Amino acid sequence: MKKFKVILAAIIAAASLSFVSCDKEKEETLDNYTRYQRAVDSQIQNDKKNDKVILLVAFGSTWQQAFDAFDATKAAYKKAFPGYDVYVSYSSAICINRAAAGEHKAEGAEVRNYYAPNFWLHGFGAAQYKEIVVQSLQVIPGEEFTRVINYIKDFANNSLGDIDDKYLSTVTIKLGLPLLAAEEDVTTVATTLNSIYSAKAAEGVVAFMGHGNPDSYDTYKANVRYNELEEELQKFSPNYFVGTVDAPDNYKVQVLERMQEAGITEGKVYLHPLMSIAGDHAHNDMGGDDDAWEEGKGYEENEEGEVEDTSWKCYFKNNGYDCNDNTVIMKGLLEVEQIRNIWVEHTKDAETLEDYYHSMYPED
Amino acid sequence: MTGRYLYILPILISLPVMAQETVIPAEQLDDVVVTATGTPHTLKNVPVQTEIISRKQIEQLGAASFEDILSQLSAGFDFNAGDMGSQMTLNGLGNNYILIMIDGKRLNGDNGGENDLGRIDPHNIDHIEIVKGAGSALYGSDAMAGVINIITRRHDDQALYLENTTRGGSYLDLRQHNSIGFSIGKFTSLTTFQLQHTDGWQNTSEEDPAQTEFHIYDSRNKTVNMYTNGQLSQRITYTPSDRLSLTVDGYLYRKRIFRPTNGRYPSCDVNTFDMKYRDAGASIGTEYKLNGTDRITFDASWDRHAYYYHYTATTLEDGYDPNGKFTHYYPYFEGQEHLQSDQQRTMAELKGIFSLPAANLLSAGAEYRYDYLNAPMRVKDGKANDWTAALYLQDEFTGLDWLNVTAGIRFIENKAFGFHATPKVSAMLKAGEFRLRTGWSKGFKSPTPKEQGYHYLRTMGATTFLYLGNTDLKAQTSDYLSAGMEFSHGGFSASVTGYRNVLDNMITIVNLPTSQIPEGTAEYMGDGSAEIIPRMYMNMEDARTSGIDVSLTWRINSEFTVGGSYSWLDTKAHVYDSKHERLKEVTIDGMANHKGNVYGTWQHRYNDAYRLGLGLYGRASSTRYYQNNGNGKPYQIWKLTTTHDIGRSNKGLVWRVEAGIDNILDYKETTPHGLHYGTTTSGRTFYCTLSVKFSKGKKMNTKDIERKDVGDDD
Repeated sequence: MKKFKVILAAIIAAASLSFVSCDKEKEETLDNYTRYQRAVDSQIQNDKKNDKVILLVAFGSTWQQAFDAFDATKAAYKKAFPGYDVYVSYSSAICINRAAAGEHKAEGAEVRNYYAPNFWLHGFGAAQYKEIVVQSLQVIPGEEFTRVINYIKDFANNSLGDIDDKYLSTVTIKLGLPLLAAEEDVTTVATTLNSIYSAKAAEGVVAFMGHGNPDSYDTYKANVRYNELEEELQKFSPNYFVGTVDAPDNYKVQVLERMQEAGITEGKVYLHPLMSIAGDHAHNDMGGDDDAWEEGKGYEENEEGEVEDTSWKCYFKNNGYDCNDNTVIMKGLLEVEQIRNIWVEHTKDAETLEDYYHSMYPED
Repeated sequence: MTGRYLYILPILISLPVMAQETVIPAEQLDDVVVTATGTPHTLKNVPVQTEIISRKQIEQLGAASFEDILSQLSAGFDFNAGDMGSQMTLNGLGNNYILIMIDGKRLNGDNGGENDLGRIDPHNIDHIEIVKGAGSALYGSDAMAGVINIITRRHDDQALYLENTTRGGSYLDLRQHNSIGFSIGKFTSLTTFQLQHTDGWQNTSEEDPAQTEFHIYDSRNKTVNMYTNGQLSQRITYTPSDRLSLTVDGYLYRKRIFRPTNGRYPSCDVNTFDMKYRDAGASIGTEYKLNGTDRITFDASWDRHAYYYHYTATTLEDGYDPNGKFTHYYPYFEGQEHLQSDQQRTMAELKGIFSLPAANLLSAGAEYRYDYLNAPMRVKDGKANDWTAALYLQDEFTGLDWLNVTAGIRFIENKAFGFHATPKVSAMLKAGEFRLRTGWSKGFKSPTPKEQGYHYLRTMGATTFLYLGNTDLKAQTSDYLSAGMEFSHGGFSASVTGYRNVLDNMITIVNLPTSQIPEGTAEYMGDGSAEIIPRMYMNMEDARTSGIDVSLTWRINSEFTVGGSYSWLDTKAHVYDSKHERLKEVTIDGMANHKGNVYGTWQHRYNDAYRLGLGLYGRASSTRYYQNNGNGKPYQIWKLTTTHDIGRSNKGLVWRVEAGIDNILDYKETTPHGLHYGTTTSGRTFYCTLSVKFSKGKKMNTKDIERKDVGDDD
């Protein structure tokens, strides 16, 4: 009898499978790329409440603190821009994949769909938004920012060829610049940071850790913003320092050198990420624990003059400063309301891109 | 289940001895081995130290897998946990450098250097021969740390043979082995089907807090992932005369490794795809016997190991958009598959064994091997290949009773590295019950098509790496020196062997300056805005392992056997440190200085229809060292097994029940995920195997009697 039940169950399963596969066949006649794009398109069409839309573009993260920061930012934008729909986009494929999968999906909780910018933009086009504002959530106008520009270019040039060409020639596309886009931004950000952390700077060093353009390719020479920010901050207090994970000559090793040159050889060191969210870099490269410090041998620098296998926290602690979990301020810049407001201002000031449109069919 | 076994076992143990064993147990030293020299020798007189694991040992152990057998019965082996299954080491060196063969044919295909050991059905093993050290003179590429030759069971001597073996254990561990063998005239046929499944287990739901944003206690990551695999094999042998035989083999194999789909934390336990393998192979072989010793064989084979992602959620991968433009966002949907790599190998080998004057035995062979890799998103134009042609010669001098000298050399011509020669020489002195063996041999491993042809971008964090193959790679090499002594008397044998293996030109991936990106890679440069770090395969690393292996076996009487082995190991390697872009000296990851195992077995036949076997097995390891993420803890694990043979083989139908408790002391490591383990055992488990065998029309010939393990009722 049991066997019969098993067989019966198998037959039912096989039968239901064949029904499913009928439906699937229909779906699979589309290529995956188009199928995915259409899912994004229809989601946008369903959710569309306004004629104007803001897309916040970040590299992405899979950390809970980052999800929360993006959620809060999205809410703040909705409040600040009542006539706009607001979406968050990731440019990291792995972060997109993982953020959307997992148990919260099965439980019916909100699915974290941080589609890549190209899919969002195409969807906005398909939904015929009249105004599209793309806001870069990058800190400096560096490597990642160029990608944001390229996505807009591809969209405006109708790269997939299936957006209404007439619509494209009329839509308003605006670009909101990164946090430290212009020199005056540096002054604003420095003033804002000092207004929040001046009490801590009175107690000891406050060191900010940015990402920076990587070793060999300083896109738009944007790394200079970190030096400028440090300069501006030091006008308020000599205890402010700004270093990076990746920009040559401005690693934590150089931050320490500058501190020592300034005669600061002991005391408290507060650490703060100079990144939009506190994700992998903030938790590991800044506040992580490791055992790279060898008693008697110290740290070993690589060819570029950085100690790669230790965190900022351990590095300053082992170099004689009071730096520990209590002096680590684990907050992304989007979590600092006053700084987030600067991004909001950038969105308000977003420039309309003129002459972006190049028809696919110039002869028409 | 627990209660039942605990209740039965003391009763079985305390049963009075009712009758003496009537079958004389075979001395293992009389077993015939072939792997060390390619020619048959008894274990006692094989010129190169060879370890054998017999069918009888495997049955008494009641092992679930090939990994179980090796880790329990041979001290040199260890296994690390990997996402795609266990990763093997032999005397400190990884699967990359170990040649695994089934019936003398190399196991094809790897993932990151690891063979899929699920291809090996533990219930279909007749015996395992292990020859440690370099063996490339005879076997070519990969035989740098050792050669494992799995000899499968044959039932050629039966007119009809049917078997079903089903093993069930904790965590829904299921093993099925089925055989149908028959002989009609000059044809014999053997069909086997095997199935392996486990639900996997989770020793801890804690993640390493140093690697996560907050302390996670409810991770869904498993210690060992669930998997299912199945294999169908067919062998047909045609023997038109005593001298000539012709064999045709084929197999189909499938495996899926399931990863949890219910992860909670996208940063550590969320996965969007499973792994799938689809393997197949076919071979033909023929042997012509010129006389008692001389023979010529020819074998040709083709094998495929295709590796797929099976998506369990929407996943963006590198690919090409509808305009044919490279994108990091090509989507795959739940239920879809995507080929990652298809490794195909075609081989042909002609070999002869000839008696020469003055007590010399010559083995000579020619081999051609063609490797083909189809990896659509990994290799330029999706495809890469490699070929090797080889000639080898080996001479065994047996002119003196007290001395055997064997020397051999292989000449190789390879597409990538050109000409290479790899020699070996060994000597065995016989002095009464003592055997002194010493040998020097070299091993090599050809650069794989992947190492030669890889060409793809991979974004990790904010950095994009351009992985580049290298067609100028040399072969990786090993230089192995060993000396050992064996003593055997009656049922007692003991051996001690010391060795040193020096590996050089080991291939690793090395960061290059951007200026060294070869021309013609523009399509991989993305939109030009991102910084790209090129990484290329290079002959960069080296390693040295040295150790001492000790082994003891004592058949106290016809019923009791005790034994054990111990392995001391020391390693040193220069590995590439990509953070500092230089070599650094380290011990090899996963190394334990001390490993050992002991066992005691007792078998007693109570009457014609029932035989009981009991076995107690222990294995232990000292701390396993790793560069990063903590060391593996030292451990010891004990296992109790029982076997029950019901019915005599000459009655046709034989039943066998095996039942036991693995990891009696319920030891398990609950080290958080992300850190290393000494062992991934799940703690105490129970298993029970039922085996039914039916054979009819048994025909025996003298060869079978010589080679048969007489104590085995099969």
